[in-house]
Amino acid sequence: MNPNLVTALTGYLPYLVPEMLLGAAACVLFLGGTWRANRHLWGGVALVSLAMAALALSLNPLPHYQSASIADASRYASPVMLDRLALLLRAVSLAGGVLLVLLCWDSMPENRAAEYHACLLLMVAGMGLCAAANELVTLFLALELTSIPTYLVLYLGKSAAPDGGLDAAGQEAAMKYFLLSIFSSALTLFGFSYLYGMAGTTNLPGLADAFRRASDLTAASEPTLPSPLMGMGMVALVMVVAGLGFRLTAVPFHFYAPDVYQGTTTANAAVLAFVPKVAGFAALVRVLGFVLPNLSHEVFTATLSRPILREQLPILLWIIAAVTMTLGNLLGLLQDNLRRLLAYSSVAHAGYMLIGLAAAPRLLDAFDAPVDGVDAVFFYLVTYGAMTLGAFGVLQYLSSSGQKAETVDDLAGLSRTRPGLALVMVLFLFSLIGIPFTAGFMGKFLLFAGALDVPPSQEATFWPPDQRTLFVGLALLAALNAAIGGWYYLRIAAVMYLRDPSPLAVAADGKRSWPTLAAVCLCGALTLGIGVNPDPLKRAVQSAVPRLTDMVSVSAVER
Amino acid sequence: MSGLFLLLLALPLGTAVASALLGSGRAVAVRWLSLASSLASLLLATILSVQFAAARLDQTPTDAKSPSTFPDEWIKFSTRANLLPLHTTANGTVDSAIQFYVGIDGLNVWLILLTALLMVSSVLVSWTAITERVNEFHAWLFVLQLGMTGVFASFDIVLFYAFFELTLVPLFFLIGIWGGPQRQYAARKFFIYTLTGSLVTLLGIVALALTLPQIESQRDPTRTPLLTFAIPELIAKVDALNNKLPKDVQELEQAPPDFEPQLLKERRERLDSWRRVQMWVFLAMMCGFAVKVPMVPVHTWLPLAHVEAPTAGSVLLAGVLLKLGTYGFLRLCVPLAPDASLRIGAPLLGGLAVVGILYGAFCALAQDDVKKLVAYSSVSHLGYCMLGLFALNEVGMTGSLMQMINHGLSTGALFLLVGMLYERYHTRKMADYGGMGSRLHLLAVFMVFITMSSVGLPGLNGFLGEWLVISGMYDFTGTQVRGTLLAGLGAVGVVLGAWYMLTMVRQIFFGPLKEPHHEGHGVIGDLNGRELATLLPLAVLCLALGVYPKPFFKAVSPEIRVLAGIADAARRRAAAEHSPVPPRDIRQAATATEKK
Repeated sequence: MNPNLVTALTGYLPYLVPEMLLGAAACVLFLGGTWRANRHLWGGVALVSLAMAALALSLNPLPHYQSASIADASRYASPVMLDRLALLLRAVSLAGGVLLVLLCWDSMPENRAAEYHACLLLMVAGMGLCAAANELVTLFLALELTSIPTYLVLYLGKSAAPDGGLDAAGQEAAMKYFLLSIFSSALTLFGFSYLYGMAGTTNLPGLADAFRRASDLTAASEPTLPSPLMGMGMVALVMVVAGLGFRLTAVPFHFYAPDVYQGTTTANAAVLAFVPKVAGFAALVRVLGFVLPNLSHEVFTATLSRPILREQLPILLWIIAAVTMTLGNLLGLLQDNLRRLLAYSSVAHAGYMLIGLAAAPRLLDAFDAPVDGVDAVFFYLVTYGAMTLGAFGVLQYLSSSGQKAETVDDLAGLSRTRPGLALVMVLFLFSLIGIPFTAGFMGKFLLFAGALDVPPSQEATFWPPDQRTLFVGLALLAALNAAIGGWYYLRIAAVMYLRDPSPLAVAADGKRSWPTLAAVCLCGALTLGIGVNPDPLKRAVQSAVPRLTDMVSVSAVER
Repeated sequence: MSGLFLLLLALPLGTAVASALLGSGRAVAVRWLSLASSLASLLLATILSVQFAAARLDQTPTDAKSPSTFPDEWIKFSTRANLLPLHTTANGTVDSAIQFYVGIDGLNVWLILLTALLMVSSVLVSWTAITERVNEFHAWLFVLQLGMTGVFASFDIVLFYAFFELTLVPLFFLIGIWGGPQRQYAARKFFIYTLTGSLVTLLGIVALALTLPQIESQRDPTRTPLLTFAIPELIAKVDALNNKLPKDVQELEQAPPDFEPQLLKERRERLDSWRRVQMWVFLAMMCGFAVKVPMVPVHTWLPLAHVEAPTAGSVLLAGVLLKLGTYGFLRLCVPLAPDASLRIGAPLLGGLAVVGILYGAFCALAQDDVKKLVAYSSVSHLGYCMLGLFALNEVGMTGSLMQMINHGLSTGALFLLVGMLYERYHTRKMADYGGMGSRLHLLAVFMVFITMSSVGLPGLNGFLGEWLVISGMYDFTGTQVRGTLLAGLGAVGVVLGAWYMLTMVRQIFFGPLKEPHHEGHGVIGDLNGRELATLLPLAVLCLALGVYPKPFFKAVSPEIRVLAGIADAARRRAAAEHSPVPPRDIRQAATATEKK
């Protein structure tokens, strides 16, 4: 066997120590939970294992290959791609894991704390693997590693019923999520099978390479495209986008979100708002070939994949993005339940993020684009994580300290009873609206800049008339949507600041959940910090995403 | 220089944080802190503007030979630092970035001073009027000052936008918490109206900055144009493209008939697409600024917000925040989209401005609530600012800028006076009052004086502003007829303005004494020292600007001249397009038929 191949097949293992650590810690927690029921103990263990995973990641961040041939062999043989994007997203999921562990600290019954935290750790490992997946099977397994613990978490969290079991709404939520998630996994798998059928490999760079070589062949033999392949490619594309769209809560796969968020606990809703989104966007970006070093550009320009990825994909994502943000925001206007409102908000934000992905293939033609589409998506993903987890954290803190935080009206007069908390909540809400000097503004700015930078189409496409007009339209729609969204976020702010507190709220001042408060403060610091100084995050994201446009020059030099 | 200037931004921020941290218990400390801070800001702003104006007064006027280059002061009185690098060169230097680029020039120097001045008045007028959550009130007030000063001072287009939207947040709370009975609705309506408009403005701003390098590189593929968000650089780029692209086309049109038809077509298309870009950018920017001004169809948030806002909020809203809209037009729309400003802006916004003047005046006539009357008078007065601005000549734009300051002084003072009256009698209905002149002498004196300034009595500031605006409309080159019509209708508005203002003064202060029911409101006295200190500076400035406006004009004239030069160039281009010389392909067709 080729020694390079051996290195490639085994050499990645030391770099997956963080995920292994998390898995081992999860096992310890699952077993330990039977021995002792103490939320502080198990929460502490979870935090320590996350810290150790972070340490392992920082000690061994990026692989150094001895030679170019080994690097090449690992690219085509290794199940994981240990590039900068993987590093960034693994770091983000570890950070998100810390926030989630803190946020969920007091959300579950004491005797379920160990299992709950174990599930969180597995999800974090799953997100990390998703971000690093270099192969369809690994990717699928990683996606399942994030979703299966989620099913458990949905059952573990609720303790409103006297026996600690689930109430009807909680059961409905858990069941609904379970069934639809399985269904979406099946869709994704179906799409993957088509990809495998077309290329004969599950390796992502291999897939891209197969497309390129097939294009070279077809270009040499006949000028027209073989239509069956095109058809198969379209089926694969639609199925993958549909399957992953469930995780992103993209319309029309969003139906579960409001019901599930409302039915389950606030902490669980926070988990659902963050984990599947990170995993889904990472998977989508990997599968669609946005981040293949040295190959992405060729995938997007090869004769065979070009019509699918360059022309159909932006349109498909354009439509999904437009519908997702509009529907999310319009339905958000009608909500009174806070979790349901935030569910629609998370739908709307998925729509904003999809703008970046939709614009990315078209930005290939752009002159010196300041953003790449894909990097804007990940920038937004981080800011979204900070502000949404923060908002859920505030609600979780309130409910764990005995104040009801179910409907918008429950927050009335929060600025009088808890001024600090109200101020932080307002920060999150304004960030969600996209007010300057908060993280949300920079995120939106970069997404808009991507969409507005799409150059006019050079080639005539069968529909629509002009790409530029189309994407300026999308940016305009997003701007109007941000204003619509402003109305319901502002409603919460208005209730907190402009109304008098109800006597119940004043009376309810039970115990304080310090870990949740810590999570809220961390989120607040992130939201404000990124808003005031977005440069570090922008740099991190930019260096993580291999720019499609830069690759033009690279490939030109190579030839 | 720049250190002082940065302090002008840092001081409000620090005060806001400090007064928030002081806690709700220490109201007196918060008030004194706020007063000290606002006085310090005023001092700083005065030093800066005096320095600036002194430098300008020494200058001998030079002819604006190259209209697109702004005077050197833009560099001398400004400071810049990279905020978010967007593109770095191979050797690591940042060559395009969103910058923290702030400074003083002729367009903003007086507006910054006005902001600082009205802040002092706002703090003083809230001394006894605000008794609940005092620390929060002052914290938001100073965040508002930070936002307003920031907008005026920004030379970076994204920074401008950031401060522009930042002003929404504090005002939302100021109206929503300390406002009148309908405050929640008013606050949300204000917020959503302005947010919607300004988000579209953001798109326009970003689209312009991103499109410029694209078009430049199409025109000259050998150069690698830089992405920039700095307003002076953007203006220079826009001006260069506006000059070069039509010349490119003309060059080929006048060449021999069979000379590169493909290239000609390409260049024409480029010119057309550049014009389209300008038009859309103008319309997008207009959305946000027109809401803020407010222009007539989108003005409905204003009377509501004014009536519900606490006095300090009204003063700052009318005095400063509305100017953000007109200032945006002046700073961004006119120089960045001059052709579109001429083609769409002048007829559309000029027309809407006159509609606003008349409509606002009639609405004011119909009001019974004094505060609402002053609010509608703002709609009317801001119409003059817009009318002068879209005269697009030196006189008109100077008048517009002056009218912004005038309106800030006089309407700010009017809201203060109305607030003082309300604090005494807790009613704003004009029918409840009568002959108050014999009861509150000083208040009446100030009211009459400010009314005179507002209606444009010669010798006071309002007269100069209105006169300049209307005379600007007369030499409205190119569209003579409409200019005259608009100026005439604007002059009718002056008369209407005198009518409703004097009616209000007569109703409240003259005639037989009719005091509203005021038991339980304490002893009603005339203006006290604090109130005098609030009003006196504004009144003195109204008089000073009226009798000695030279420093004002001197300080603003270089920039205004540049803007006028840009607008003139646009006019020449528009005229050249209707020139009788037929383009080449028409001549070609003519020669072809001759041959047959």
